[in-house]
Parts: sequence; structure tokens; C-alpha cells
Amino acid sequence: MVLIAIIIGCLLGAIIGMNAPTISYTYSSYLAIAIVAALDSVFGGIASVINRKFDIKIFVSGFFGNAILAILLTILGEKLNVDIYLAAIVVFVWRMFMNLGTIRRYYVEKWTSKVKQMREQKNNEKQNTEENEV
Amino acid sequence: MKNIKKGKIILTIVIGIACLVLATVMFMQFKIVNQADINELEVMREEELRTELANWKANYQEAELQYEQKAQTLEEYNKREASDSETAELVEKELTEVNLLLGKTDVEGPGIVITLKENEDAEAAITADNLNMIVNSLKEAGAEAISINGERIVNMSDIVLISNSIIRVNQQRVFAPYIIKAIGNQTYLESALLGNGGEADKLIKIGHDVNIEKYNKVEISSYNKELTTKYIE
Repeated sequence: MVLIAIIIGCLLGAIIGMNAPTISYTYSSYLAIAIVAALDSVFGGIASVINRKFDIKIFVSGFFGNAILAILLTILGEKLNVDIYLAAIVVFVWRMFMNLGTIRRYYVEKWTSKVKQMREQKNNEKQNTEENEV
Repeated sequence: MKNIKKGKIILTIVIGIACLVLATVMFMQFKIVNQADINELEVMREEELRTELANWKANYQEAELQYEQKAQTLEEYNKREASDSETAELVEKELTEVNLLLGKTDVEGPGIVITLKENEDAEAAITADNLNMIVNSLKEAGAEAISINGERIVNMSDIVLISNSIIRVNQQRVFAPYIIKAIGNQTYLESALLGNGGEADKLIKIGHDVNIEKYNKVEISSYNKELTTKYIE
């Protein structure tokens, strides 16, 4: 059900985005930093689901809050003549990789445990048959 | 059971909306980046614009510098041209002056004309010495141009007696009557010849006819040979 929602949302978003009026290039840097922040939130959400700590309120507030904060920081950086957006990108991407690592580890562990289980099962079956034969 | 379902629906909707927003923004950004021409001025970022501006400023400065240099050289050329024409004028002026002094041009001005007529029964004939003396006296009196029978007296002029009563001026034979023209202060010239002990006075005393007339405009023709040098280095 959640997966369907994700797919439908992405498809609808793609269609809307394709048909939306183009914004001035000046604001594209803000948009880019917002996208990075949102992506970070998404990966964070997935990681928290895996860790069984997922909270819808935290996810939503992080999703929108981080994006808006990143945009505000970029604007502030432009006003101060400091490239703050670089720091934001570094932090978000770093966190994205961390979360990706968490997700990857979870699935790899799951897969290895599955393989182990199968082997044990096979061994058990073998032992059972041997015992039976004996 | 119902609670869990409700929570799941909310979760699904929220995640769907989040995905929708994310995808929308992402595709908008893709579109912008795709459409944007990096070299278009409106599209450039502030930093790029700054660099470009600095570049143009540098270019402008360089161009201005070159312009200044060119203008300077042009001015120099103009100046040189002006000075060239000035020097040319000066040289021409000098040339005419020198020609005037050398006797290479026809000249005119106030002066006197002396006519010497030889008398057969005079005590002595008119010789080249007499003419020399007259010319010398005229020179001393400040004559600026002298000619004897049309022969202009210049710096290398000669007045020599070849043989019996043959007088050559500028290697040209001259005959009596001798007409000597001189340009200068008329009074000075006349008194130099007619004064006591003057050459004209002497000639009158030995019986020759000497006639001196003042003119406000005496014309003296130019030296009619070429002034060439062969040995002067």
C-alpha cells in the first residue's frame, strides 16, 4: 500500500513537474538545495523505518522543515556573501550516505541470515534423513 | 485494528504527498536546468556574472590603454609633422636668404649706377685695378649686390687684366663703358667713390668720365654661371 502510494506520488509529481511553468534560473539553486534536503529526509525516513523508530510527525516536519531551512540558509549565505549552501549540501549528502549505509546493512544482514537459515534447514533435513536411515 | 488501519492510511497519504512534492520539484528543476542556456546572461549566477564583468572590465581597460597609446603616438606624429613643416619652412627661408647673398637670384633695391667712360686722351686707361678698387670701396660702403656690365660680383668673382686693356670679370670680357650697379645705402656708396681719395675721384682727376646716378630701384641680375665646388670637401 505504501509502495503504491510512493509510485503514484512520483508519477503524478513527474507529470505535474513536466507541465509546471518554468521558474527563473535565479531560484534554481534554492530549489536544488531543497531537493537535496527532501531526499535526505526520505532516506532518513526509510532508515528509521528499518530501525523501527519511524514517526510520521518527525518525517513530515523534517521533510518540509529541512527543505525550507536549507533555502533560508542559502538566502542568508547569499546575503552574507558566504557559500552556506555548500555546507548544507555536504551535511545532507553525508547523512544520505549514512542512511543508505544503514539501509544496506539491514538488507545485507537480512539476506545473510536468510541464507544461514536455509543452510541450517538443509542440514537439519539431512540429519533427520540420516537418523531415519539409521 | 481500526486504529492501525487509520494510521496506515494517514501514513500512505503523507508519504504519497511527500513523494508528489519531491518529484514535482525535482522535475521542475530538471526542466529548468535543461532549458537554461549557460551562456545566457539572465541565466548566469552572480559569481559567473562577476567574473565576466571583471573580464570585460579588464578588456575595457586594456582597450582604453591601447587607445591612449595610439592617441599618444598619433599626437607625436602630428607634432613631428608640424615641426617638419616648420623646419622645411625655415630651411626654405634660409635657402632663399643664402641664394640672395650668394647672388643666385635677380635682386632689386635702392642703389647707384656708375658709368665709366674711357677717354682716349686721359693720363692712363681704366684698368682692372680701378674696377677692383671701386668694387672694394662699394663693398666697404655696405653694398649688398654689385655687378659690372651685367656680371654679378659674387664671393669668387674675379676682375683681372689679361693683357692690353682686356678686362675680364667672371672670366667674361667686359668692354668700356663700364656700368657698375650697386644696391645699398645710396649716400654711403656715392660718398665712398666721390669722396676725397675715392676711386671715382681719382679717375675723374686723370680725365675719365664718371657718372654716378642714384636710383630707387636698381635691378641686378643673378650670377649666370653655376657655383660648383670640386675640391672643397
